[in-house]
Order: sequence, then C-alpha cells, then structure tokens
Amino acid sequence: MNEDAEQALATHEQELRRGTVVFASLVACRQPQYGYSLLTTLTEAGIATEANTLYPLLRRLEKQGLLSAEWNTEQARPRKYYTVTTSGAEVAAALHSQWLELNTSITKLWKEGTP
Amino acid sequence: MSALTDIYVDNVVGHLHENSRDDIAAEIRATINDMVEDRLGEIDHPAHDQTEKVEREVLEELGDPILLSREYTNSPQHLIGPDSYPLYIWSLRWVLPAVAILSVLTNIIVHFATTPEVHLGSLLGQTIGSTVTALLIAFAVITILIGLGDRSLDGGTTQQLPGPRSKAWSVDDLHRKDVRGSQIRAEAVLNLIFLVLLALIPLIPTSLVYVGHLNNGETFINPGLGSGWLLGYWAFLALMAVIEVIKLVRSSTSAALIITGVVLDVAMAVFLTIALLTQQVLHPDLTSASGAEVQQIITVIAIWAIVIWDQISTWRAHRANR
Repeated sequence: MNEDAEQALATHEQELRRGTVVFASLVACRQPQYGYSLLTTLTEAGIATEANTLYPLLRRLEKQGLLSAEWNTEQARPRKYYTVTTSGAEVAAALHSQWLELNTSITKLWKEGTP
Repeated sequence: MSALTDIYVDNVVGHLHENSRDDIAAEIRATINDMVEDRLGEIDHPAHDQTEKVEREVLEELGDPILLSREYTNSPQHLIGPDSYPLYIWSLRWVLPAVAILSVLTNIIVHFATTPEVHLGSLLGQTIGSTVTALLIAFAVITILIGLGDRSLDGGTTQQLPGPRSKAWSVDDLHRKDVRGSQIRAEAVLNLIFLVLLALIPLIPTSLVYVGHLNNGETFINPGLGSGWLLGYWAFLALMAVIEVIKLVRSSTSAALIITGVVLDVAMAVFLTIALLTQQVLHPDLTSASGAEVQQIITVIAIWAIVIWDQISTWRAHRANR
C-alpha cells in the first residue's frame, strides 16, 4: 500500500471508528461509567478509542439527551458518571438493528464481489 | 496535580465558552489523574521522576490542547478561529465604541463649526449616517485583519480534521502556547498603540481629517492652553504605559496592577473633566460661541462613559481569566 492509500485508509478508519464509538458508548453506558472506566471498557472490548475523542463525544451525547451525567463526589476523587437515558437506549437499540443489517449487507456484498 | 497539567488544562479550556470551562477542566483533570494512576500501577511510592514521565506521556496522548478544545466545541471551520477569537472580541469591544465616540464627536464639532444655524434633525442625520458607516468599516477591517492573521497562525492545522490526528505535538510545546500569557501580551501591545495615539492627539493637525480649513491646519487643541495641562495629560498616559509594559514583560496581570490602572483611569478622567469645564480646551475656531459649552459637556460625558465601560470590561476579563 502506497503512502497516499495509507493516508486515505487512516482517514476512513477514523471516520468508521467515530461512528462505532458513539454506538459502543451508548451500549457500555447502560451501566454508569466515568470517562476513564468507559475508555478502558471499550479498549478491552476491542474498540480502540482515543481519550481526546471520547471525552468531547460524551459531552455531545449528553447535550443530545442520549446520556445523562452526574458528578459523584462521595469517592476520594470526584468523577463524572455517564448513564444512557431512555431516548439514548432507544437510539442504541435502533443502531444495533442498523449494525446487524449493515453487517449482513456487507458480508453479502463481500461474498458476491469475491472472485 | 503538577503545574504542567494545570497549564495543559488552562490551554484546553481557554478556548471554550466560559460557562463550560469549570466542568470540562474538572473532567480533564480527573481523567489525567486516572490515566497517570493506572499507568503507575501498583507502585506504592512512585519516584517523582516516574510520575513526571508518566504525566508527560498522558498529556501527549491527549494531544495538542487546541485540537482537544476543538473536539469539545465541535465547531466548523471559522473565519476567526479559537486562537484569535478572544483577541477578536476584545478588539471589537475596544475599537467599535472608540470609533463610535470619535465619529460622533467629530461630526458634532464639524457640524457646529460649519453650520451657522444648527438644526437637531440635520445634526442627528449626519452624525448617525457617518457613525454607522465608520462602524461598518471598522468591523470589516478588524474581521479581515484578524481572520487573515488567524490563518497564518493556524498553520493549516484545521485541514487535519477529520483526518488522522497530528502526532507532532509534544508537551514541550505547551510552554510556548501559554494562551493567557499570549492574550495579555497582545492586549498590552494594543493598549500601548492606543496610548501612543492618545498622546499624539494634541499634536495632530486638523488638516489630517479634512477639516483643516476651519483653523488653518492648526491642532484640535486650543493653542492658548497652558503647557501644564498638556504635560499632566502626557504624564498620565506615561504612567498608563508603564503598567502596560509591566504586563507585557511579565505576560501576566495582578489585582494590584488592575487596581492601579483603575485609580489612574479615574484620576485621568477627573483631570480631563476639570480641564474641559474650566477653560476652552478645543481650538476656538472649531467651536461656535453658542455651541462651545455643549461640546465640552458632551466630551466630558463621553470620557466618563469610556472610563466606566473600561472598568466593567477590565473586571469582567479579570474574573473570566482567574
């Protein structure tokens, strides 16, 4: 793969990851998660995420009403916990359906296009 | 929490809206602590060097604070980017009111001087028309200049989004990108330029603004004004300039400096008020006998309006930067 192709691949991979991270975050936040715990959860699940992408994303999802956020100051270190809202859960379920449909479609396309 | 993390967090939130700064700063600090703690693992008492090294790694993983800030704002490409936005707003707050006041004063002076019988409607029409035009031109010039400057400062980094993140940023860059320091230095330089212009006012010939025919190109100031008043005026400006030079050199400001500035501003306003109300300060040929007193009173009101607005603006900026 030449340098231009690698650059294009990196760009498209990042675009793909961004969409995936939104879906994965909504799924993972069915249990309350603070930023770093979510980052670890996603990484351990094989969804590579950068901290500098995840934290602003959580804030945007909170603004969209898909996640609710609450500071927990009872622990030694105050942490902001994110939990999926009712509408966030509905969006996650819809994305899950889309994900399964896309997976089926891509698998079919891949098989048809493979010589 | 080390000073390095504090600077990093300041650099991120410095580009964000004031209302969200505290919350985002607390979250980034908590994240950095979590990441550092996780990487230090089970070490009971990590050496200072170890902690510092891990902290640098974590900050570099979070990346350029300007890019992180952009992720938070999720803003599209701007004519005025986050680097220049505080300077842009600051320039508009300073320059537009100054242009409006100068335009109004100039129009009133010229109208009184050139119209044998003053009509309020004509005066208002001419003044409002000229002032709106002057404000639009000033707004356009500031926007274009800072927009162009922003592009050269930005170095094209906006083109990297949404592509792969630049890996060139290092913690060593953090010291060079002290946002607050840069802002204070930029404001100090602009203030010094403004003070020089103010100092030149008594020397500027009327011919420079196309009203030289009114007093044969002499200055706007009454030639008969005692030299003590002029020296006092320049002395006040010199003291103000000293404060700006201190801010420029230190790249920071303090409550003491701000209070000194407030005292100087008010003292200067009192000085100018006494000067304007006790004698003819403007050139006699620029004022008609009937309108001279009104012009002096309008000038005094304008001076106090600027001083009060300046103090409010200064304290708001100080509170926002704390």
